[in-house]
Amino acid sequence: MKRQITLILTILSLCILFILQPSKNSSAVVTGDCEACHGLYPGMMEEAEPGKPPQYVLKNVLCVNCHSNADRDTIKMLGGARVPVVYNTVSPVRPLAGGNFHYVAKDFGERKGHNVEAVTSMDDRFKRAPPGYDRLADPSIIGYNPEKPLKCAGSNGCHGNRNVEDPFDSIMGAHHADDSIIDGSTTARSYRFLKNTNNVKGVVGLEDDEWNQNRTSKKHNEYSASIDLLCASCHGNFHSKNKTGKESPWFRHPTDIVLPKSGEYTSYNPDVPPPLGNESQRPDRPDIRIYSPDAPVGREKVPKSPSDEIKLGEDIVICLSCHVAHSGPYESILRWDYEAIIAGEEGKGGCFICHTGKGE
Amino acid sequence: MSKEQRTISKEHGAKSMEQRKKYKKLYALCLIIFTLCSMLYALCFFTVDVDARVKGKCKDCHSMHYSSGGKEITYGGREGPFPVLTEGGCLGCHGQSPNGNQNIITMGKTRIPQVLHHMENGDLAAGNFYYVADGYNPDYSKGHNLKGISLQESPPMDVPPAFIRSVIIPGGIGPADWPGQQQLTCAGTWGCHGDRNIEDPFKSIYGAHHTDDSEIDGSTVGKSYRFLYGITGKEHKDWEYLATIDNHNGYRGDMNHSSMDTISYLCGECHARFHPHPNLGGSREVGQVYNPLWLRHPSDIAFSTVHGGFAGSEYQGYVKYSLEAPVAFDKPTGGENDVDMNSIIMCLSCHRAHASQNPDTLRWDYNSMFARSGAPETGCLTCHTKKGHD
Repeated sequence: MKRQITLILTILSLCILFILQPSKNSSAVVTGDCEACHGLYPGMMEEAEPGKPPQYVLKNVLCVNCHSNADRDTIKMLGGARVPVVYNTVSPVRPLAGGNFHYVAKDFGERKGHNVEAVTSMDDRFKRAPPGYDRLADPSIIGYNPEKPLKCAGSNGCHGNRNVEDPFDSIMGAHHADDSIIDGSTTARSYRFLKNTNNVKGVVGLEDDEWNQNRTSKKHNEYSASIDLLCASCHGNFHSKNKTGKESPWFRHPTDIVLPKSGEYTSYNPDVPPPLGNESQRPDRPDIRIYSPDAPVGREKVPKSPSDEIKLGEDIVICLSCHVAHSGPYESILRWDYEAIIAGEEGKGGCFICHTGKGE
Repeated sequence: MSKEQRTISKEHGAKSMEQRKKYKKLYALCLIIFTLCSMLYALCFFTVDVDARVKGKCKDCHSMHYSSGGKEITYGGREGPFPVLTEGGCLGCHGQSPNGNQNIITMGKTRIPQVLHHMENGDLAAGNFYYVADGYNPDYSKGHNLKGISLQESPPMDVPPAFIRSVIIPGGIGPADWPGQQQLTCAGTWGCHGDRNIEDPFKSIYGAHHTDDSEIDGSTVGKSYRFLYGITGKEHKDWEYLATIDNHNGYRGDMNHSSMDTISYLCGECHARFHPHPNLGGSREVGQVYNPLWLRHPSDIAFSTVHGGFAGSEYQGYVKYSLEAPVAFDKPTGGENDVDMNSIIMCLSCHRAHASQNPDTLRWDYNSMFARSGAPETGCLTCHTKKGHD
């Protein structure tokens, strides 16, 4: 009897361990062959004096090189690690959530993306300064330096700790740290390593394990308003209430505000109404709509799993509702072709996902 | 008749029968083509007329972040950003080229009437703020001193002449006072357009440009005549540019001056003592119909209600609609070309709404109006047909 109880307890313990083991998607700690990432080129690491750590050379291109692909795939394997591709040198298939720098690297026009070093040259149109930059809204102690190019990370970039100028130093260790909890406390524990600075809480969100490559209304990243604060670090005038107005009338398109549960917004994503018979059709839940990956919203509280429901009056309009972060095929890094958004002609999609009354 | 002749005659008959059939077919074909063309032609106008909501690219009127070129952009020298993400507020669209020669500017698919321009003979129905615009040799007596175009006038003209406090307006009550420092705005409590119960001009007109206004019933700002909340009427598709006497704005009037949806009531909301509606100046300020003594020139009355009756009156002489001295109708269509005893005198019979080339925003030069020797069918004499000659 005693042996039987021991056996049962052992099996139960193993089952619990199996259940509780971290799933492959819950952590983005890089695993695999070191050489795959750290030995891309001969001479990638420069010789250092004895006792001092070796230094990387070609820092300005290394991020991009690892996260690039010569073919059309937007997730590639590198030494056993799945690497999200932000830059395909050929036209990408199913770009990831941040878009793809392909569109700004080619001669498609520099309004189609952030002019990141190692992808393309510094931009002329905006005279190198981030549009709407407000030094007071930038928590970085260094601030954005328009004399230097936009970089992936650091004080002139988006990822890592923006209190550090050097992109590599700013993100150092993040790829090897435990990021099973995204709470914005460290670079690794910030959504997509978007820490902003070490003085402020980093971006929080739910990271889709395929970087939104196969996004649907049920499977996608989950954003929070914290991502707006990151955008505002460089584009502060577009976020500050003093610069955008206060409710009605707005002076600039607002962000970081709830999607109203009145007016035209009650028909959010009109092409995909809540299904008949669904709980959302009940009179006690009139404020539920179906999530559109083409005009996503942020959540006040990041859910543990992606939701296909939009709660009007609660979910939040964010910068990424209209824009992608890196680059896309459309001007102003919009998620859609603004030129094709025609009011008053029964248009669909794009702006009309939220502004449902303007398309009619 | 010989057999041969009969045969020829039969052949002739058959031929002419065949010809008649041919003609009939041709006639039917022509009729069908004509009908189709007429329908198509009518459809073209029908489409334009039934729905005047703004069409076109968002960017033609809006600037999402006001960030173009990396520097703050300005419209007409004014600094933004502007309310409702507009490219320069009301005037950014409707007065975008003060010195230009276009009275209607087309941007993409949107046709935008200009209230401030310098096109010769191009004034639209409401006139042209050019005559009072600072920087263009203004004469403030010629129009409304609108914020953004003109400076405010000195007292007593800093307050609307004949203003009455707290009059009833569509949806509420007008301002309890008109502070001297309060300048006229396009819309809102201190303006004409939009819902005047809402102080902020942009909030007061919010959404109107995107409303289906194929039916003008005054129920919302978007469904009101020219976004003048509560007012009804028929809108000429070119804002009366090149209007004709049978294709013009259709102004709504009420011969009993007891309705609030007339164009004259809108004027009366600010210039209350000039309107005989009981909510406004009433008979105490203006006088009464069928009474020989008007205290002020009446508005919202019909020719039939004049003292002594219409028959034999000078107003019988006004028979064809005049674009110079238009009249209102109970149920305007914009296509009326006959004027009769039921036609209604309104504020806009004599005045323009925005500004004109004449003092007092009149449609004509009052100084050129001469009794007994005036040019007939012009100015005041369009209605007062017997005053112009002996």
